[in-house]
Amino acid sequence: MKFPLRWPRTLASRLSLIFLVSLLISHGLSFSLQFYERYQSTKNTMLGNLESDVSTSVAILDRLPAAERQAWLPRLERQNYRYLLGEGEPGVTMDETGAPIAVRSIDDAIGQDYALTFTDIPGPKKHFQAHLLLADGSPIAIDVTPTDMPLANWLPVVLMGQLALLLGCTWLAVRMATRPLTRLAHAVENLDPNAHVSHLDETGPTEVADAARAFNSMQDRIASYLKERMQILAAISHDLQTPITRMKLRAEFMEESAEKDKLWNDLSEIEHLVREGVAYARSVHGATEASCRIDLDSFLDSLVFDYQDMDKQVQLAGKNGSVIETRPHALRRVLVNLVDNALKFAGSAELQLAPDTPGKLSIKVLDRGPGIDEKELEQVLMPFYRVESSRNRDTGGTGLGLAIAQQLAIALGGSLTLSNREGGGLCAELKLAIVAPKGE
Amino acid sequence: MDHVDHILIVDDDREIRELVGNYLKKNGLRTTVVADGRQMRAFLESTPVDLIVMDIMMPGDDGLLLCRELRAGKHKATPILMLTARNDETDRIIGLEMGADDYLVKPFAARELLARINAVLRRTRMLPPNLIVTESGRLLRFGRWRLDTTARHLLDEDDTMVALSGAEYRLLRVFLDHPQRVLNRDQLLNLTQGRDADLFDRSIDLLVSRLRQRLLDDAREPAYIKTVRSEGYVFSFPVEILGASE
Repeated sequence: MKFPLRWPRTLASRLSLIFLVSLLISHGLSFSLQFYERYQSTKNTMLGNLESDVSTSVAILDRLPAAERQAWLPRLERQNYRYLLGEGEPGVTMDETGAPIAVRSIDDAIGQDYALTFTDIPGPKKHFQAHLLLADGSPIAIDVTPTDMPLANWLPVVLMGQLALLLGCTWLAVRMATRPLTRLAHAVENLDPNAHVSHLDETGPTEVADAARAFNSMQDRIASYLKERMQILAAISHDLQTPITRMKLRAEFMEESAEKDKLWNDLSEIEHLVREGVAYARSVHGATEASCRIDLDSFLDSLVFDYQDMDKQVQLAGKNGSVIETRPHALRRVLVNLVDNALKFAGSAELQLAPDTPGKLSIKVLDRGPGIDEKELEQVLMPFYRVESSRNRDTGGTGLGLAIAQQLAIALGGSLTLSNREGGGLCAELKLAIVAPKGE
Repeated sequence: MDHVDHILIVDDDREIRELVGNYLKKNGLRTTVVADGRQMRAFLESTPVDLIVMDIMMPGDDGLLLCRELRAGKHKATPILMLTARNDETDRIIGLEMGADDYLVKPFAARELLARINAVLRRTRMLPPNLIVTESGRLLRFGRWRLDTTARHLLDEDDTMVALSGAEYRLLRVFLDHPQRVLNRDQLLNLTQGRDADLFDRSIDLLVSRLRQRLLDDAREPAYIKTVRSEGYVFSFPVEILGASE
């Protein structure tokens, strides 16, 4: 069977794998080396003992009077071999090749003085016997039960302990190595130069501290660029306002004429662009406004009534009686921009407030205008982007209204999505996560 | 001879102050232009004026500082119209907190300025207000509500903001400035017609009913705004002025 060996995807598992496998292999090697070494020396000692012991014991038994031999047997008995008077058990004649090493040792020890025959005794516990005749002609047998090398029974426990230690240390090391990386990735992902700058902790191992420091300074740089951009826009607009004011005042002294109207419209256009530019710069830079608890229904009511008082076709559908914590001017600006956009393209707008759902708020601004080509739905939220059909002056605008709305929606911790409605028209949905006000 | 309103224009830009001055003069007002706070103080020493148009951003003493100074001194009743370069809600609020009666964002149209000047003059003369709310960040308390006169919204006991539309705010403000006083529909209409005079097109009755809704006032047995048959409406609740810190 073939199964694909795949390199694990996460750095943590790769490192763990490398550490664990190499540590296990090296550990296993040194353990087997030691085990082999010990086995060899133990075997040599044991066989050496066996040789001298067997020759001594057989010599003792040989010299003892036949009647006393039985009494001596327990004293000559050892852990894995003993002496039996008589022929011993019947067995199978031993095969020369597969003989245990002990056979050779016994043969070495007494084979020159006695004729030896070896038999295997089959059974659940396999052992063998060596048969020989003492000098007085009485037979004895040496019953040998070869044993495995004695292993202490705490050894597996120690082995398991070592393994656990290895696993633990690997996990710790890998965690130490990868955690700062995860933290950094998380920080980069959540990096929002508009929001309040939150610095990474600059402590820890040198490499980690360096990375954190680099990240923090990058964050500061981005923030300062954004601030600079805002300041430039604000400065330009401020400096433009005085000449525009003068021009407008002068224009008002002109005789009524088509030229005057054109000049007036141009000035208004410049003025509008300047204002929207500043508003955009500010929305990107994030709102400085403090949030407060607002009654949502009255908030939307007042907005709609302000439009109605100016004879604009704006309706409100839905009430939900909730009190939310938000920045009212920013929220108002988002909605005003969306409603203005709807009025511009459709001549009327409808605000729709979704029923109260815990933690979420959805306000839709709907119109029955031409809608926006599906391909352009994302792009119209970019600053200075205008849909193809609005390139003409009448509906053109600055191309900043929706961009401002989106930036502010983000600054409010929400999102703005555009979609085309069934039956024609555009739906701009503002979704906000609501922090439940205290005491509600 | 009729009284001609005297407008003092304080702006550091020579062209702007002269253009504004000429425009207002052309439209039947008396004007004096000065460049900064020093000249303004010197002029006001000798001549009282009916209204001051003042730029916020000026070298030396800026408009906000001068405004506060005027409000603290003997010219505290002189209406002030601020010109600001920044179209920002916080600027508007600061200006109003410093005691300005209205504000106009640069670049503005001269006819808009003229309309505002006339509106402010009419407002301050129409009925001498019982309460002059000019100090910074004043809150007006009535019943369970507080009206923030700079941010232009209501606050309930839990500090929850209840928004008002422009027209609703102006109407409520008229009622709060003249509590316990029967106001007929014409008076209310005149007093609420501020800057959006030409745009304002709602009958007072509709506005009153909206305002009652906003105040959670029962229309059949209203606690705040009572209907006086064939006369008009009266705001029947005592109004209390709170300091900025509350």
